Amino acid sequence: MTTPTWDEPGGPMPSDEFRAATSAIMTNIEQVIEGKGATVRLALAVLLAEGHLLIEDVPGVGKTKLAKALARSIDCSVRRIQFTPDLLPSDVTGVSVYNQEQRDFEFRPGAVFANLVVGDEINRASPKTQSALLECMEERQVTVDGTTYELQAPFMVIATQNPIEMEGTYPLPEAQRDRFTARIAMGYPDPRAELAMLDGHDAHDPLNDLRAVTDAAQVRRLIATARDVHAAEAVQQYAIALVTATREAPELRLGASPRSTLQLIRTAKAVAALEGRDYVLPDDLQALAVPVLAHRIIPTADAQLNRRTTDAIVSEIVHRLPLPHDRSRSPYDTRNNSGGPTNQYEPRGR
Amino acid sequence: MSGRRRLGLVAAGATLLAAAPISSIFDSYTWLMQCLLTVGLIAGAAVGARTLRFPAWAQALSMIVVLLFTLTWLFGSGEEFLIPTPSTFSHFAELFTQAGQDTRSYGVPVPDRDGLLFVTVLGIGSVAIAVDLLTVVARKPALAGLPMLAIYSVPVAVYVNSVPVLPFIVGAIGFMWLLVSDNIDRVRRFGRRFTGDGRDVDVWEPSPLASAGRRLGAVGVVAAVLLPLLVPTISGGLLSQLTQNGSGVGVGTGNGSGGRINLFASLSGQLSQTEVVELVRLKTDESTPYYLRFGVADQLTDNGFGSTTPTGENIAQGLPDPRTGTAGGSFAEHRAEVQISDKLQQGMLPVYQNTVGLDGLQNGWYFDDNQQVVYSNRRSTKELTYNFEYVRARYTPALLRQAEELNPDDPIVRRNTTHPDDAAVATLVKQLTAGKQTEYDKVRALYEHFSTRNGFTYRLSTQPIANSSEIASFLQTKVGYCQQYAAALAWMAREAGIPARVAFGFTRGEKDGDTYVITNRNAHAWTEVYLKGFGWIPFDATPAANVPGAARSDFAPDVDLPVPSSTASETAAAPDADPSAAAGGVERPDRPDFSDQSASDSSGSTAGILSGTALVVIGLAALLLALLLVPALRRVLTRRHRHAVTVPRQPKVTSLEGPADIVVTAETVKARADAHAAWDELMDTMVDFRIPIDPTETPRVTAQRLVTDAVLLEEPAAAATLLGAAEERARYARKPLEGGELTVALNRVRKGLARSANRRTRIVAVLMPPSVLMRWRLGLAEASARLVTASGRVRDVLAKASPRRLLPHRGR
Repeated sequence: MTTPTWDEPGGPMPSDEFRAATSAIMTNIEQVIEGKGATVRLALAVLLAEGHLLIEDVPGVGKTKLAKALARSIDCSVRRIQFTPDLLPSDVTGVSVYNQEQRDFEFRPGAVFANLVVGDEINRASPKTQSALLECMEERQVTVDGTTYELQAPFMVIATQNPIEMEGTYPLPEAQRDRFTARIAMGYPDPRAELAMLDGHDAHDPLNDLRAVTDAAQVRRLIATARDVHAAEAVQQYAIALVTATREAPELRLGASPRSTLQLIRTAKAVAALEGRDYVLPDDLQALAVPVLAHRIIPTADAQLNRRTTDAIVSEIVHRLPLPHDRSRSPYDTRNNSGGPTNQYEPRGR
Repeated sequence: MSGRRRLGLVAAGATLLAAAPISSIFDSYTWLMQCLLTVGLIAGAAVGARTLRFPAWAQALSMIVVLLFTLTWLFGSGEEFLIPTPSTFSHFAELFTQAGQDTRSYGVPVPDRDGLLFVTVLGIGSVAIAVDLLTVVARKPALAGLPMLAIYSVPVAVYVNSVPVLPFIVGAIGFMWLLVSDNIDRVRRFGRRFTGDGRDVDVWEPSPLASAGRRLGAVGVVAAVLLPLLVPTISGGLLSQLTQNGSGVGVGTGNGSGGRINLFASLSGQLSQTEVVELVRLKTDESTPYYLRFGVADQLTDNGFGSTTPTGENIAQGLPDPRTGTAGGSFAEHRAEVQISDKLQQGMLPVYQNTVGLDGLQNGWYFDDNQQVVYSNRRSTKELTYNFEYVRARYTPALLRQAEELNPDDPIVRRNTTHPDDAAVATLVKQLTAGKQTEYDKVRALYEHFSTRNGFTYRLSTQPIANSSEIASFLQTKVGYCQQYAAALAWMAREAGIPARVAFGFTRGEKDGDTYVITNRNAHAWTEVYLKGFGWIPFDATPAANVPGAARSDFAPDVDLPVPSSTASETAAAPDADPSAAAGGVERPDRPDFSDQSASDSSGSTAGILSGTALVVIGLAALLLALLLVPALRRVLTRRHRHAVTVPRQPKVTSLEGPADIVVTAETVKARADAHAAWDELMDTMVDFRIPIDPTETPRVTAQRLVTDAVLLEEPAAAATLLGAAEERARYARKPLEGGELTVALNRVRKGLARSANRRTRIVAVLMPPSVLMRWRLGLAEASARLVTASGRVRDVLAKASPRRLLPHRGR
C-alpha cells in the first residue's frame, strides 16, 4: 500500500473546479449545521491548511455534529475517539500485541490511523492520553515500541471540548493546544436557524442522510491549491508583527509560537482560496488572528484577575497594530514615527 | 533649624531686599530701620509659631498681631503701651489721611513724614507676611514675587518715565534667593544627594540637571535683552530717551538731584488724555499774551533733556527785574490774575516769563533765578488764586542780531550747551547755519527748518526708526508733537553753540470774555534760547496750526506762513516798527484764513505718507495672501504630480486639457505604482475632508469605512471600492488590477466627499489642506527629533574630550 505523503499532495486544480468542490462540501455540512456558514468555512479552511481543529463551546451547540458532518462529507477513513478518564495512550496510537500464530509482536493501529480523527471531549482524558496525540498531530506519524508508522494524508484531528465543565477534566497542556491550528466556538444559533433545526431535526438526524461529496485524493488537490495561494511579503511581515505583538504584550505571559505564524499564514491562504482569491490579504490575518492565536497564549495573573480573555487581548492587538507599509509614501502612520514597540499599545485615539 | 523655619527667615530677608526701591522715595533711611525692626519681629513671630507647631492660620495670625504691636509701638498715639486701643486706630486713620496729603504735596525724595513712614512700614510688613505665608505655608515661592513686585510698583508710579534700575536688581536678587532656598529645601526634604559613583553631593553644588536650568535661564535673559532691541516699538516711542528725565537713573547715587515730576511725561499725558479738563483761568490786561510757563528742562544727557531741582530764594525777598542789564527792546508792564482749578496739582507755579511781583500766595514759594520758575517743595498749586505783575519784552530781529557774542566760559553757556554727540544732528546743524553770522540768525535758521514746507507734521504718536538715535529719527520722519520739536530745536541750538533749554507751560487757551480758559489741551513745550544781553528768548518750533492757542513773536514768526517769512521779518526789521502791529499780525488765537493753507499743507503731506503706508499695507496683505495660498498650491501640485506620474506617454496637447486619466498599463510595476499613487491621493483627500485615517486598517476596510462614514452614494461609493481594490491588489496580489480608471474614480470620490461635507470643511480642504499642513508638521517634528539626536551625539563626542574627566574627585 503506497501511502500518499504530505509532500506530494497532488496537483493544484483550476479555480472553478476548486470553488465547485469546496462549495459542495460547505453546502453539504450546512445541511446539518444551520446558520453557521462562517464556522463551517473556518473548519474547512483548517482542513485545507493541513491543520487540526479544536471546537470549544458549551454542550449541545453541535460541536460533535460539525465534526461528524465534516468527516462524512469526505469519502475517507474516519475514526472517532470518545475521550474518557480511563482512556489509555495505546487506545489512541495503537499497540503491539503478541501474535501467537506467528510468534511475533504485531502492531494493532490505534484510532489515529485515519484521515479524519474526531476526538470528542478531549479534555476528559488524562494528560498522559492527551499527550499521545502530540507526535501524530505535528509529525503525522506514530512511534510505538521504537517503530515509526506514517499516518495517511490528509490527516486531521477534530477535537471538541467543553470550557465550562471543570469537574473531572484535564485542561489541555500548552504544547497540545499549540498543535491545534484553530480553536473555534460554535455559538448559539440565531432564532431562525434554531427554528429550521426544529423543523428538520425533529423527525430524524440529517446526519444520517449525509453523503460524501469528495474523497481524500480530491482533498489533497484542494490542499495543494490552497498552498499555491500567494502571500505577499507585506502580508508575511504583518503576520510576524501580529505574533511578535503577542510576545511583547504586557498582558501576556506566553505569546504565540513560531508554529502559529506558519499556521496563521497557511490558514489565511486557505481562507483566501475559499474566497476565490489567489492572494492573501491582511484582512484574512485579522479575521483569523483570534481563532488561530487566542488559544495558544496565556495571560498574566493580572490580566486574568481583570477577567481579560485571550480573545479580547488578541483582538485588541489586531486593532492596535498598524499595517506594515512604506512610510516614504504616506506620513499618516504617526505611531511608527518614534519610540519602540511599546508605542503599539497606546490607546487607540482617533 | 528645620527647613521651614530657615525658609521663613529667607522670606523675611528677601522681603527686605525687595524693599530696596523704597530708598528712591525717601530722603533718609529712617524707613529702613523701622522696616528692619518690623520684618525682623514678624519673622521672629513666624519662627516661634512654627517651633510651637501652630497650624497655618495661627502662624498667620501671630504675624499679623506682631505687625499690629510693632505699628503701635512705632506709631502709637502715645496713650497706650504696646496694646492697641481704639484711640490707636483712630490715630492710624489720621496717619493715613496725613500720608494721602503728603503724597500730594511732596515731590520725591520725601522727608521723613510720620504718615508716609506708617504707610511704608505697614505695606512692607504686610508684604513680609504675604511672602512668608506664600513661601513657607503654601510652598509657592514663585507667587511671592507678586507682593514683592508690588513694592517696586511704588517708584514706578512716582517716576513715570524713568524707572530706577538698581533697586529692582536688589529686589530681584532677593526673589532669586527665595526661589533658590525653597528649591534647596525641597531637595533636602527629598533626601541626600549622591552622584552616580556614590559621592555625597554638597547642598550648593549644582546637580547635572541644573545645567539645563542654566541654559534656559541664559536663553531667557538673552531673549529678554535682545527682543526689545530688535523690536523698536517696544522702546516706547520716539524721543522717549531724548526727553527722559535724566535724574531718574541717578537716584540713590547721592548727587542730590532728586527726580521731580517728569515734565515731558506729564505733558504727553495731558495731551493724550481723552477728556478735556479745565486747569487754569487767567485774566490779563495784555492784549496778546505769550505762553504761561512753569518749568524748564535744561539738562541734556544721552538720555535726553531732563529737569534739575530748582533752587532759589523765597519769593518774599523779591523777584529780579529783567529790564535791568538788558541790551534793549521795548517793555510793557502788565498784570494778571490766575485761578487754578483742583485738577492742576504741582509744585510749580504757572506764571508769565519775566514776572516781577507775586501776591496772594502763602509762604513757601521760591524763585529759581536760573530757570526762572516759581516752585515750592511743600505747597501745591491746587485751587490757588494769585495775582502777578510781569514785564512783556518785545524784541525785533534787528535788535536781537546785536546780541553780544557768547563767552564760552560763562557758566550759563557752559551748562546750557553741553550735549551728546550725534553725527546726524551735527551735519544738519552745520548745513543749516552755514554762512550765518549772528547767534540770532543761526537760531532762526534752525527754527525755520521745522516748517511744513520741509515736511514736518504734527502727530501725537511718533514713528521710531530702528538703529538710529531718537533725535535723528525725528529729524528723518519729521513727525512729532511739541515735546519733540522743542527738544530737537534746543538740542540743535546747543549743537550750534548757543545755550538752549526746553520750557514747559500752557498756550493761551480759549478766550471766554476777558478770561483765558486753559485746559490740558493747552499743555505745551517750547524752546528757550539764551542770547547775551537779552536773556532767555522763547522759540516755538511746533507747527502752529496744530497747537490750540499757539502764539508767535515777531522775532520768531510762523514759519508755515505762505509768504517767505524770513524776508518779511527782515524787511520789518526797523527798530521803530510798531510792536503791537507786528505782534497783531502773528497773533493766531482764532485762526485767520491763511491757517487753512498750512492745514491743507500738512494734510497733503499726511496723505502722501498715508498713500505710502497704504502701499506697504497692500503689499503686506498680498504677501500674506500669497503665504496663505502656499498650502493650497502645494496640495494642487502634489495632486498634479501624482496624476502626471501615472500618465502613460501621450502627446503633450492632451495634458493641457487637464490631468489625464490614470490608465493602468499592462506593465505590473507601473500598475502597482499607479494604484499606490491613487491610494496616496485618496488618503490625502480623506485627511483634507477630515475623515480619520487608521493605520491599522487594510485598504479594503478603509474604503468600506469611507463609504459609510462619508455617506457616499452609488458612483463615488463604487469609485472608493475600486480604489481600495486597486491598492489591495497592488500591495498583496501577484498581479495588480489593470484597466481601472483611477483618476476618474478619485475625482468621483472627491466630489462625493465634498457633497457630504459641510461648507467649512470644503473651504478648508481647498485653502488650507490639512494633509499638507500635517505633512509639514510631521516633517518639522521629525527634523527636530533628528536635531536632538544629532546634538546628543555631538555632546557625547565632546564629553569624551572634556577636561572634567581628568578631575581627581571623579575617581572617588
